[in-house]
Amino acid sequence: MTETAVASATTEARRRRPRRSARRPLTFDRVSFFLVFLGLPLALFLVFVVWPFVQAFYYSMTDWSGFTPDMNFVGLDNYRRLLDDDIFMTALRNNVVLALVVPLVTIVLSFALATMVTVGGSSHGAARGLRNSSFYRVISFFPYTIPAIAIGLIWAQMYDPSNGLLNGVLTGLGFERFESFPWLGDTRTAMPASIFVIIWGFVGFYMVLFIAAIKGIPAEYYDAARIDGAGRLRIAWSITIPLVRETVQTAYIYLGILALDAFVYMAALNPGGGPDNATLVMPQRLLDAAFTKGQFGLASAMGVVMAIATLLFAAIVFAVNRLTGGHERVTRR
Amino acid sequence: MNIQQRTVGRRTFMRGALAAAAVAPLGGALVACAGSGSDDDNDNDGGTKSADNPFGMAENANVDAVIFDGGYGTDYVAFAAALMEKNFAGSTVKVSATTEIAQELQPRFVGGDPPDLIDNSGENSIGFATILDQLEDLTEVLDADNLEGTPIRDTLFGGVEAPGTFGDKFAALNYVLTVYAVWYSASLFKENGWEPPTTWDEAIDLGGKAKAKDKYLFLWGKEAATYYQTLAIGSAIKEGGDEVRLALENLEEGCWSLSAVQDVFTAMGEIVSAGYVKPGGAGTQFTAAQAQWSNNQDALLYPSGSWIENEMKDQTKAGFEMTGFPEMVVSSSSAMPYTAMHSAAGEPFVIPSQGKNVPGGKELLRTMLSKEAATNFAKTKLAPTIIKDTVPADGFGSTALVSQSKMLTDAGSDVFTWKFVDFYGTNVDQLVVWNSFLAGNASVSELTSRLQEITDKIREDDSIKKVEVT
Repeated sequence: MTETAVASATTEARRRRPRRSARRPLTFDRVSFFLVFLGLPLALFLVFVVWPFVQAFYYSMTDWSGFTPDMNFVGLDNYRRLLDDDIFMTALRNNVVLALVVPLVTIVLSFALATMVTVGGSSHGAARGLRNSSFYRVISFFPYTIPAIAIGLIWAQMYDPSNGLLNGVLTGLGFERFESFPWLGDTRTAMPASIFVIIWGFVGFYMVLFIAAIKGIPAEYYDAARIDGAGRLRIAWSITIPLVRETVQTAYIYLGILALDAFVYMAALNPGGGPDNATLVMPQRLLDAAFTKGQFGLASAMGVVMAIATLLFAAIVFAVNRLTGGHERVTRR
Repeated sequence: MNIQQRTVGRRTFMRGALAAAAVAPLGGALVACAGSGSDDDNDNDGGTKSADNPFGMAENANVDAVIFDGGYGTDYVAFAAALMEKNFAGSTVKVSATTEIAQELQPRFVGGDPPDLIDNSGENSIGFATILDQLEDLTEVLDADNLEGTPIRDTLFGGVEAPGTFGDKFAALNYVLTVYAVWYSASLFKENGWEPPTTWDEAIDLGGKAKAKDKYLFLWGKEAATYYQTLAIGSAIKEGGDEVRLALENLEEGCWSLSAVQDVFTAMGEIVSAGYVKPGGAGTQFTAAQAQWSNNQDALLYPSGSWIENEMKDQTKAGFEMTGFPEMVVSSSSAMPYTAMHSAAGEPFVIPSQGKNVPGGKELLRTMLSKEAATNFAKTKLAPTIIKDTVPADGFGSTALVSQSKMLTDAGSDVFTWKFVDFYGTNVDQLVVWNSFLAGNASVSELTSRLQEITDKIREDDSIKKVEVT
């Protein structure tokens, strides 16, 4: 009896299963829903994202000049040429330096500023920011509203050796050695000066991003920490950072992608790649190879190298965050 | 190998790789727009050739011209286009302006639908090595009569075909005559009793005199550091003659170590180490630097092409009297006289063979080369075209234009140019070296070895097509 019950139950289940998984009638409603919300985005993604990637990868293995329909398959030759090209390797190295420095400095700075305008204020009463914090918030966001190319051109003028504001101020203060000092033309200062410009443009935006994240933390945590006697640094380190970790990771990846490109800033500040190619970045080399030298195959290979570098960077950031326990703590919360 | 023949194989490969059959039709469309469509129906023949229509353009045809919109604008082509529309009633000439020649035309070249006439100029021009095979030979245009009935070849300055000739193909007609010289303010020199130097030793002397007046001899801007390379090569070719020119053009081993080149570099090195070059150029935008010369008069001399007057028109001190003189020579025993000129026609006009209306493109060029159109250019742009006798004695009131005419007359047949820098696109790499050198961070021997490295890299790269210069 029980056996038959089980058996009938299973046959029942077996009978029911196909019915359950049977597609519901393909009404116009469902079909159009799939088409619009699944089919269309997928098709757009495949055609405009995946396909160009595949195409670029194919072109990177040809000697296509870019101006003819003819091309020969050359395998990995272009990649070999890139490895032997010391100028491209310099550009790659510069991009790596940017990817190391820009996100780190920008995030540290913007995090510090965000902490100050949200919870860094008076240590009496409820946790709050510095006085006039909304004013600081607005002005530090200003640079982000200016297009990157305009930022680059403005700073190129600021750094002008003879008529620039920077040297004007420095010589005015009595630092005679900055008379006609080429900030963007000296191998020692070109890269730091360019990095400064990028950071200047982004600190405000990431500050706002962190402010939003910090505002999402319940104020009770801060009150409790204060009662336990934690100082501002301690609170930032032990309360804020663990709770905005995901935001830091996102910011790090965004900034890293930007730093691995950095084309607009570098092209505006030093179109030629700077002294001894000190600020040359890969996309500048790519543009030159494609349109000036007519080597679209080689340029595509550079593009693929850039894509790989970006993916590697994102993978490293994820891995570091995971290894230092980021994932765990977030779930524990 | 042709993409079209490859399409199927490649498409199947991609399909397999993607495992997404859905993409194939759309992907096919993309491939089609990236690499096919070269089965062009260029109706090259159609019209009958006649004296008024030497290239046999069809009646009621359309001409599509894409013109670089740089220092000279595009109105001079529009002027010729209007003239041509008058001569060929019923035909239309479309003149489009762009600053991004390579970016805009690249897909049209691939698609087999290039314009009928291109002014391939400016920073984003297409490297000639890339499209040489796809261009018409323009000898036919020079052999034709101009609108006034004179053979065009007889109306040209000497040597104007050289910059557009690659191997044995005359592929580009360079329309504007550019004179490369060293420019100075005649009024400032008169005021101080200075003379423009004819040798490098005199230049070094003049540097000392300038220093006494708190001025520099030279200055430079970061994007234009290679103007000094142009000056150096010009001077070295005058010193050593054709031997130097050919060694550089053909990317020979040790070409930068030839004694003529070294003598010039050494003199320049002396000027740099004596502090006669305004510091900070490596960080200065080039037009800002040029304004320090033409407006502030921080430096006495500036080596440049004759476009400098037009370029700095709004930033030149009143009464500057911009005047040019030929490159300094090393010694009085130079292979070519001091008056020899580095002059090259610029603004290369090319006609792609795949264009829809090749005779129309040629006809538009012929119209531009007419006396009427060329005089219009000289008058409105204050620069001579390759057509002789279009500039009156007063140079339309421009001292620079007068001095250009004078230098060209003095030079007579001693006119030379070179094109390896533009042809192989090495300027970007050479800029870096010259910026270091002018800033005093690289010695003469470093300058030499690094320029040689750039040359060697091109020579040894088999994927770059070389053109032998003789």
